[in-house]
Amino acid sequence: MQQQEIARTYTVEEGQAADDGQRSDTMTINMGPQHPSTHGVLRLILTIEGETVLKAVPDIGFLHTGIEKTAEAKTYHQALVLTDRMDYLSPLCNNLGYALAVEKLLGIEDEINDKIKYARVLLAELQRIASHLVWLGTHALDLGAMSMFLYCFRERELILDVFEYVSGVRMMTSYICPGGLQADMPPGFDAKVRAFTDIFPNQLREYHNLLTNNQLWLERTKGVGKLSAADALAYGASGPVLRGSGVAWDIRKTIPYSGYEKFEFDIPVGSNGDVYDRYLVRMLEMEQSLQIVLQALEGMPEGRYRVANPKVTPPPKWELTGNMEALIHHFKFYTEGYRPPQGEVFVRTEAPKGELGFYIVSDGSAKPYRMHVRAPSFANLEALPLMVEGQLLSDVVAAIGSIDIVLGEVDR
Amino acid sequence: MTDSVGLPRPTVDIVREKFPRAVVETVEFRGEQTLILKPEYLVAVCSYLQKNLQYTFLSTITAVDWLERVPRYDVVYHLLSLGQYGQGQEGRDITSPPERLSAPTVSELRLKVRVGEKGEEHPTLPTVTGVWPGANWYEREVYDLFGLIFDGHPDLRRILMPIEWTTHPLRKDYPLTGFDLPEPHWGGQVPYDTDPVVGNLTLRTPDGRELNENRSKITQNQEPGTPKKP
Repeated sequence: MQQQEIARTYTVEEGQAADDGQRSDTMTINMGPQHPSTHGVLRLILTIEGETVLKAVPDIGFLHTGIEKTAEAKTYHQALVLTDRMDYLSPLCNNLGYALAVEKLLGIEDEINDKIKYARVLLAELQRIASHLVWLGTHALDLGAMSMFLYCFRERELILDVFEYVSGVRMMTSYICPGGLQADMPPGFDAKVRAFTDIFPNQLREYHNLLTNNQLWLERTKGVGKLSAADALAYGASGPVLRGSGVAWDIRKTIPYSGYEKFEFDIPVGSNGDVYDRYLVRMLEMEQSLQIVLQALEGMPEGRYRVANPKVTPPPKWELTGNMEALIHHFKFYTEGYRPPQGEVFVRTEAPKGELGFYIVSDGSAKPYRMHVRAPSFANLEALPLMVEGQLLSDVVAAIGSIDIVLGEVDR
Repeated sequence: MTDSVGLPRPTVDIVREKFPRAVVETVEFRGEQTLILKPEYLVAVCSYLQKNLQYTFLSTITAVDWLERVPRYDVVYHLLSLGQYGQGQEGRDITSPPERLSAPTVSELRLKVRVGEKGEEHPTLPTVTGVWPGANWYEREVYDLFGLIFDGHPDLRRILMPIEWTTHPLRKDYPLTGFDLPEPHWGGQVPYDTDPVVGNLTLRTPDGRELNENRSKITQNQEPGTPKKP
């Protein structure tokens, strides 16, 4: 069949581990899908000569679960839970991107009040810190600094406690939904967040003390995995990968959404595009995110936690026993769902990994006709061969860690 | 992108002026501009957008399957101009006059191409990997999940599905839960004798010992991704 012919015309280039003995000093090895340092089920086919990597070909698709296809069979409210599971280390950020896209499609963006915006920003920034903590822990673990892993996860537990407090769920919360939040933030929320923000600056200082000027860390990360700004832009790399290469692009600042324009924060930008710069960018981002969390906490206004539109927001349970319209709205919302007008939207947000985009096409029915997710790790991973070709084998591990990929969103 | 008095002009107007025959339609919905192009002009317009109008960032390429419509598929490109934040503007053609009179602005654009007018099984359209190298994996994904062939793509093979898969899952006529997998498949021994990505290469250590000598030689009796024949 034609597809198989196209598939089989791909061969590894001449002169690499060839049987006819042209170059017998290279080896083609598999950094297989099961590998502790690939951060998920990523397969890399590396052609190496001694320790130097000549060619790196990523093979993805091991975590492909057909999320985009499944979303076509769910109502907009049901499809929300699918979005948690793509970048599974920052589910609230995925929820936020999806909610913004659906709200834009519905045309209810103006109904989102400040309380909802502040709450979303607060949770998204907490989620960013949590995601960066996982990155830091696993990246340091790969490069040999094993205790970092436990320190970072210990801090992350406090953030997961906050999520459990507001939504009942530690990770896949689906708490940010189109129309607002799933439930009001309970009293005592402030104290829970402060339990984290009070100790985190000290912990961050400790992480800097351990790694930032550590000779071993510098040797492993400085000058390794370089990506130039032009290459990063050409390959669509975004987030800390792009900022580490010197491009000062952060969607929260340049195309603000959900009230980010009201917050004061800085964007760390690197200059060399190597692993060390990306490390520093993320470390400083955690600090900035903490500032945003504190600002959101101070300035949190009062208000509804969900829009008053009965088509998008199911009525509270206590209304169902007395009010006929409430019962009907509840029934229609959970069985059929709301019908956005025909059209399409693409909304970009700054997820911890980079530019997360949701492209939703509506044909007027209650289910998305097409939902495509622009995953930041997909494009960032595409730039991996540029970072590692010509470097040593151990630099591959450093480079993969520095891109911060999550295979759930690469493969969807 | 500004006009003679310095006001920003929408990209769609500039493109309409420069490539009058290329534009089929422009749509605006919720503040977003969509430019619908004819497939043969795609690369020219994309080149122009990337070089002259600073749309250096390709966010994503995807496709939508309109089963009942002819042409069947929409291939959708989302572009971003980083404006004053973007660096890496090497490669801009300095011989062409700059289209802007003041600093470029951040803008978003959607391009659409409708393919499949003849109702063919695998519609083709040109690749934009020459304009944005990052389009490589996105076009592979569209080929993998929809079956659209990109002319001139350096490496068009499946990216998410297994390489020997024969159908295109994101098409509307592909069932949500798929078809039964052929037996044996993945549960027992590996059902191919050549590694799909490495090919027929014999992996050897530097001393010459074969590394993949224990490959199984079971052949398939059903193409993966197709219904089970009775």
